[in-house]
Amino acid sequence: MFALIDGNSFYCSCERAFDPTLRDKPLVVLSNNDGCVIARTQEAKELGLKMGDPWHIASKKPELKSVLWKSSNYVLYGDMSRRVFDVLSSMVPRVEPYSIDEMFMDYTGLEGDMTERSVAIRAAVRQIAKIPTCVGIGPTKTIAKLANKLAKADRSGVGVLDLSTAEARREFYPCVELGDVWGLGRASVAKLAKLGIDNVASFVSMEPDLVRETLTVTGQRTHAELRGVQCFTFTDAPSSRKSIACTRSFGRAITSFDDMREAVATYAARAAEKLRRFGMKAGAMQVFMRTNEFNDDPKYSNSVTFEIEPSADSFALIGAATRAARSMWREGFRYFKAGVILIDLYQAAELPVGDLFASRDPEKSKALMTALDAINGRFGRGAARPSILAGRADWSMRRGNLSPCYTTRIDDLLTVRS
Amino acid sequence: MGSYQGDDTTGFQSPAQDYVEPVIDLAQLLDLRRPGLYPVRVVGHELRARGIHAGDILIANAAAEPTSGKVCVAFLHGEVILATLNLKDDAWWLTPSKGSPLPVCDDVEIWAIISALVRMRV
Repeated sequence: MFALIDGNSFYCSCERAFDPTLRDKPLVVLSNNDGCVIARTQEAKELGLKMGDPWHIASKKPELKSVLWKSSNYVLYGDMSRRVFDVLSSMVPRVEPYSIDEMFMDYTGLEGDMTERSVAIRAAVRQIAKIPTCVGIGPTKTIAKLANKLAKADRSGVGVLDLSTAEARREFYPCVELGDVWGLGRASVAKLAKLGIDNVASFVSMEPDLVRETLTVTGQRTHAELRGVQCFTFTDAPSSRKSIACTRSFGRAITSFDDMREAVATYAARAAEKLRRFGMKAGAMQVFMRTNEFNDDPKYSNSVTFEIEPSADSFALIGAATRAARSMWREGFRYFKAGVILIDLYQAAELPVGDLFASRDPEKSKALMTALDAINGRFGRGAARPSILAGRADWSMRRGNLSPCYTTRIDDLLTVRS
Repeated sequence: MGSYQGDDTTGFQSPAQDYVEPVIDLAQLLDLRRPGLYPVRVVGHELRARGIHAGDILIANAAAEPTSGKVCVAFLHGEVILATLNLKDDAWWLTPSKGSPLPVCDDVEIWAIISALVRMRV
């Protein structure tokens, strides 16, 4: 049994956590370079603002005069995401981050009422990590995700929906459009519409053979999952468009930094490959490592989020990820899991051309330089370049209304008046 | 990252490596990795009597339950302030250093309870 917990307008909620003047107000967070709306509060949604709306146009509309805005602050969002994860980990044995603001919890084998548990978890996350959330419960990840979406749409304030039983699903499925289902793309929805299938109830009643003929393998899996047949295990899921994660539990506990560096570099390289396949670049990265939650090993869990020079370059991403791993590494623990999550993704073409300066790291070894040169020679100048140091965020992006990094920079602490 | 560990030299590895004890780690001592802990910075001198000075770093614990007499960070009508907590007739009241006690409500919120103090210049 799975539960998906998802932060409501997560980036906006992170901003509101430290700034009471943003409460109950229409608020949006803008993409890198203050370009488009990437998060909006319910109040902003009600004014008609859409995800992806270009802010230079939207901000000029008279009806949107009252909307407050913030530049995206991934360092802050990453640290708040870590807090959410830590609260969840203290309340359920298995938690799997899916993206910066969505985490799956494994409810399998837990005793007690699942809704009550979810309500308690929601309250703890709200109080401790300062993030309002919704929880969806289901026997498969796809159902949990759908339940979460429905919980969010319900404005009664309960914030939890349990679709673990077939009865509950029968009640809700007829009212849910196929576009709201995780894993069904626009093309699939259009194909199904031609067959007169326009809601989840009619989709799940389709013969599996017909689904196979009509849709791809992914569509088929989604169909099975919606019927309660588990296709995605606790550790895998369809890829998210918001972030690219590469995380893995180790076959054997890792105890040396060399092994950890190797693992993190491999994950970063894999994530970079995916990024390039989607024609995207990442402007921020989260790296985490942790010990086993289930055995008696001494516990250590750490994660760090930082902005990077926007890149899809394996060397840059590997460099940044391994430096982050270095900063978190503590000797003497048996590490069980690590991962690299790329966030702040955008199409490479959206980036301003030109002087994103290729910063030079003087510590880089000669061998790497030679390798970089060889790659640049083969694939063109700039194909590979050294990344800047983790944690520095001063490249030439416009960020006109950036909030302080309240929780990670000593000069940015929340100020309290005595 | 960047700190000398004795293992990253270009010459011979330091024979002292196995004996290097790390410096005292205040973040560890204060347990700053706990998800409910938020360091905040004091502005103003109004709480000197409580030993809280301007510029002090306070550790605010959002996971702690309210306790009478403790100082907390509060969101009060859109402002972030320090206030003293009191339980009166089963309800929590906040007393800011200026002004009278206010009952906790939608617009008067306990954000976190102060649990420690760090002062850099003594």
